[in-house]
Parts: sequence; structure tokens; C-alpha cells
Amino acid sequence: MTPEKFPPLDPVIHSQIRLAVLSILVSVKKAEFNYLRDAAGTTDGNLSTHLSKLEQEGYISVKKSFKGKKPLTTCSLTEKGRTAFSKYIKTLEDYIHFEKT
Amino acid sequence: MNELEAKEEIRLIQEMIEKTRQSTAESGTLYFFWGIWIILAIIGNYVLVWLEKYDWIWINWVAFVLIGMAYSAFYSIRQEKKQATATYAQIAARYLAMACAVGFVLFGLVFPLLKVYSWEVIPPFIAVIAGIELFGVGGIYEWNLLKWSGAFWWIVSLAMLWVPANFRTLAFVPVIIVAYLLPGWVLRSNYQKSASRNDT
Repeated sequence: MTPEKFPPLDPVIHSQIRLAVLSILVSVKKAEFNYLRDAAGTTDGNLSTHLSKLEQEGYISVKKSFKGKKPLTTCSLTEKGRTAFSKYIKTLEDYIHFEKT
Repeated sequence: MNELEAKEEIRLIQEMIEKTRQSTAESGTLYFFWGIWIILAIIGNYVLVWLEKYDWIWINWVAFVLIGMAYSAFYSIRQEKKQATATYAQIAARYLAMACAVGFVLFGLVFPLLKVYSWEVIPPFIAVIAGIELFGVGGIYEWNLLKWSGAFWWIVSLAMLWVPANFRTLAFVPVIIVAYLLPGWVLRSNYQKSASRNDT
């Protein structure tokens, strides 16, 4: 296989923050906004933008509720997101294997 | 994209998964609680034997188990509310713990009270279920200490058959210390280390 024949990397996932978010969500049932922000090492505003993009594409679902009196945003991976993430990793692995050979 | 970029993305994915795994590790609190709680119940059991209040022995166990389960449920719900994430491993471990709790109640209290079998065989049955719980949770979280503790409980369940019936419950005390409180203490210590790492 030549590099041109590799499927292109999903542009929705191909961003450091969005990739970090999906990597966390793939191993959890749900994660709170603050946890994602701290783990991804970003700011509230930046994370909100990336989450909106992922939500628009149907890769994650975002639920807004309250924890006591404070607003709480919880994110979880959708089936579409899980499939897209698996595909993304497969492409990355194929790429690394190709470069090695 | 070049190979270096691809490897960097794989590294980021691994780092995030590992970070999540560490931050949601088990605190070991309930192991501690149940270890000490059951030792107290055993002491209560032998105090009642010494006082020759045999009818109260079941009440002692029912009371300890019900209070223990109520505290466990309260603690788990509170922890769940506090946690910022819920991993599939935690959910699996929680269901396994609940299933074993039902097993403890049925094999340790309900069946003997219904005279399905004599109270003498309760300790080996309880040891088998404790083994299933520890080995299962050890497998889910990939903690060898818990897996070994689980296997130890199964050996104990067999060894119990050679212990005189009146001393089987008492024989639980050293086993609980070695294969329940000790792993609980190690888990707690790892959890505290992990929590302080995440704070910095």
C-alpha cells in the first residue's frame, strides 16, 4: 500500500484536544467537563469549542445538569464516535507499520 | 502526517487512557471497612457463645450485615456523586461486588436460617465467595495482589474443612487481616499516592 492509498485521517479527531477528549471518553462511561479540561490541559473556552465540534459531528453526547447548585456538564462517547475513533487508531497504526517497512 | 506525528498521537492516546485509569483507581476504603466490621462481628459472635446466648448469634450477624450494607451503599453513592468519571472497569467491579454481597447474604444467612444446611458449612462457602470477589476485582483492575488474595481465600475454604466447626469462624480473623485488610491497605496507599500525583 502506498501512503496515498491510506484513508485520510478524520479531520474532526485530528486535533490534539479532540483526540485527548476521545481517548479519555473511550475508557469511561461518562466524564465531567472539569475532568476533561484538566486532563487535556486546556481552558474552559477552548474545550467548549472542541466539545461543540465533536457533538455536532455526533461523536459525543453532552448532558447538562446540576450538581447541587452548580451547573454540571457531562460528556460520553456515542457509537458513531467509538467507530470513528477505532478507525482513526487503525489508520495511525497502518501508517506507522507502513513507514517501518 | 509523518511517522513521528503518528507516534506522537498514539503516545497522547496512551497517556490519556493511563491518566484516566490512575485517577479512578480504587480507594480500598470498603475493603478496610468490611475487614474490620466482620472481625467485630466475629468477636460479637464469640462473646455471645461465651455468654451462652446462642439465640442472639443470628441477630448479631443480621445486624452487622445490614448496617454494613447500608454504610457500603451510602459510601458508594456518595463516591459516585463525587467522581468526575465512571470507567467501565469501575462499573464492572461494582456489579461484581453487588453480586457477591447477594451471595454472602444468601449463603451466609438465608439458606442456613431456612435450614438448607448446617451453620458449620457457612465459613467455607463465605470464603469461596470472598475469593470470587477479590479474584474478579483483581482481574478487572489487573491487580495481582487482589488476584492472589482471591486464590488464598479459595485455599482457605478448603483448609476450613479440617478446622473444628466451632473454630471456623474464629479462623477467619487472621485470614481477613492477611487477605482483606492488607490488600485494602495497599490499595489505599496507592490511591493516596496517585491522588497526590494528580494534584501536583
